[in-house]
Amino acid sequence: MENLDAARLQMAFTLIFHIVFACIGMVMPFFMVVSHYKWLKTKDELYLTLTKAWQKGVAIFFVTGAVSGTALSFELGLLWPEFMKHAGPIIGMPFSLEGAAFFVEAIALGFYLYGWNKLPEKFHWFTGVIIGLSGVASGILVVAANGWMNSPSGFDYIDGQFLNIDPVKAMLNPAWFTQALHMTLAAFTATGFAVAGIHAYQIFKGRRVALHTKAFKIALTFGAIAAILQPISGDISAKDIAERQPVKLAAMEAHYNTEKGAPLYIGGIVDAKTQEVKYKLAIPGMLSFLAFGDFDAEVKGLNDFPEDERPNVPMVHYAFQIMVGIGGVLMLAGLLYFISLKKKKWFANRKYWLFFIALAPLGFIALEAGWIVTEVGRQPWIIHKIMRTKDAVTPMPGIVVSFYTYILVYTTLSIAVTWLMIRQIKVLNAQNN
Amino acid sequence: MLYVVLFFLIFSLYLYVVLGGADYGAGIVEMFSSEENQKITKKTIYRVMGPVWEANHIWIIILIVILWIAFPAYYNILVVNLHIPLTIVLLGVTLRGVAFVFRHYDAVIDNSQKLYDAMFKISSLITPIFLGMVFGGLISGHIVLTEDVSNLSFYEVFIKPWCNVFSILVGLFFAALCAFLSSVLLIGESEARKENIYIRKAAIATIVVFITGLITFMYGYINEYSFVTIFVRDPYAIIAMILSGLLLIPLWITIKKGRRVLSRLFAGLQVFLILLAALVAHFPNIIITKTENVSLLDNIAPESVIKVLGISLIIGGAVILPGLFHLLKSFKMIKILERHNNTSI
Repeated sequence: MENLDAARLQMAFTLIFHIVFACIGMVMPFFMVVSHYKWLKTKDELYLTLTKAWQKGVAIFFVTGAVSGTALSFELGLLWPEFMKHAGPIIGMPFSLEGAAFFVEAIALGFYLYGWNKLPEKFHWFTGVIIGLSGVASGILVVAANGWMNSPSGFDYIDGQFLNIDPVKAMLNPAWFTQALHMTLAAFTATGFAVAGIHAYQIFKGRRVALHTKAFKIALTFGAIAAILQPISGDISAKDIAERQPVKLAAMEAHYNTEKGAPLYIGGIVDAKTQEVKYKLAIPGMLSFLAFGDFDAEVKGLNDFPEDERPNVPMVHYAFQIMVGIGGVLMLAGLLYFISLKKKKWFANRKYWLFFIALAPLGFIALEAGWIVTEVGRQPWIIHKIMRTKDAVTPMPGIVVSFYTYILVYTTLSIAVTWLMIRQIKVLNAQNN
Repeated sequence: MLYVVLFFLIFSLYLYVVLGGADYGAGIVEMFSSEENQKITKKTIYRVMGPVWEANHIWIIILIVILWIAFPAYYNILVVNLHIPLTIVLLGVTLRGVAFVFRHYDAVIDNSQKLYDAMFKISSLITPIFLGMVFGGLISGHIVLTEDVSNLSFYEVFIKPWCNVFSILVGLFFAALCAFLSSVLLIGESEARKENIYIRKAAIATIVVFITGLITFMYGYINEYSFVTIFVRDPYAIIAMILSGLLLIPLWITIKKGRRVLSRLFAGLQVFLILLAALVAHFPNIIITKTENVSLLDNIAPESVIKVLGISLIIGGAVILPGLFHLLKSFKMIKILERHNNTSI
């Protein structure tokens, strides 16, 4: 394996894992504080049990997210030293603020986990809120740094030199808001549906139904609201990309030739050689409308760009289809959930729970697919139109060894965390009502 | 503003060495304890480190972020030439963090605890050794700048800088220092009448720190490592080292008298003096390579970047430090109250 491929795969692999851990660690505190709030209000012991069960989940995922994040902060330099040498000072600001937010989160977590019956009730609850807010802030800041790679700004690039650096402008690059909004909603959707699915399974199996129904409702309320809002954010993102990274949009849609009134392809199999998309469903003029709000607008095709400036089209196209497809399903499921709150008898139907069990992994699949669209769609650039990924990779040979090591460690880690979660739930179910 | 940034760089390095070091050391102390004492130590570590250990480890992230933002050229040498030991440190940090959480949060207590404990102890020892080897690598004089690598083998460029006798000695010295810090911290935290375990450990650790430090220096001096030869010619560095050694006297007096806060202050001050000695002798030439010394201040980021970073650090510090202080203080107060209640019952 080439050094560049190994480095890219290692980065992709560690990011795929970190994203899952980080999202759960970022969103679950919100579930926890809602349950905690209900316990303080109603003094219903089930909410206390639930809060304490979720808090263990938060602690475990915070740590796995934190250590995999520490590893990533080093990997940026270890794998892409040339990138960090130039980009480090420019995009340092969101990272230094992220460090601060992360610190606040760790402090708040210390207070929360160890503060039961020791701190004043309201202050203790409030430290839980801080965990959630600083977690989301961390996420947004890191995504802002990624946004800069897609829309580099805050410097002048003259003769291969990065001059007149403005770190604030770099942080508030044109992509930061759309990406951060899309990602935050995605994190809530994915975690909401995943957690709800796990509790739905417990209800399906008839274990501590009262407790798990409370858990299901809290988690899914967050997930459903986010899923219903997500298409709006997706639309903003699409229009943004159409303007800033037209080649990425073209790859997402496997749109080869520039045309007016471009159709939207749904599904299909891409043949990169013949530049054809087979077995697709085409909606005339729709791509033009979605990208520019006008059915007749011209959408640039991949052939307008030099061959060595295009990403891997089939991969980006399939990932995009998966993301949008799942997004649609989850939005409908979210609506269905709100209807079900009015129709109590649905809760007695086993198919209802089966449905939400089946949805559990989908949010995370869509989230990973979305990141594949952003990251693979940015290739061959590490900094859009400024620096190529191949020019940024470490001169140290043999990255493939470190790649396999990471695969081994992270796979083991995920199996262990899953196993630990199963044990938590078993113990929770074994407690008396 | 550069001075603000430098202050935070050294400040976070120092805090990481002291707080993170004591944290690693806890695992080392546990490792070298008898089976019965291991159980006691495990409980004590959880009580002492539980609320703060995550915060302790964030200092290294702050450190690395400051390095890459403000001193990109310096950071570049670090991540390219010391890729391998840094990767091992990362794996160690990962396994250690996971093991810590697993052993305290696993809902079922069974034989898997043995695995978590082993993971925790081994990674607690390996990680600081390799971290020390990174420090050692930077000052060993074996680093080859990438511009000159073409005729050299993989071993010479990517392995020898950190995998040599001198760097390994520095690694062992750093691990011993961690164990020392941790034992001093644990003395004040143990349940009543268990202090003797840690007083003994602190004594052993003091001796090991002294021996590894002495061997490192002698080896460096005999083989004319410029880090050591410059160091011994610098009067300030020598004074700082002597002071650090002399502090052992008040340290042990305060330990014997059970003044735990003071004894910790002395131990922290000792580490500060050691760090200071190394810095005054060499600043800003922190990397010593085969051909030349690389100054931390070579090719620093532009003024605008330093300014924004400095402001961010001041604001971040103003938010974090009081919070951290309050966290440490609250749980210390709680612990003191608990202890008081226990003894009165």
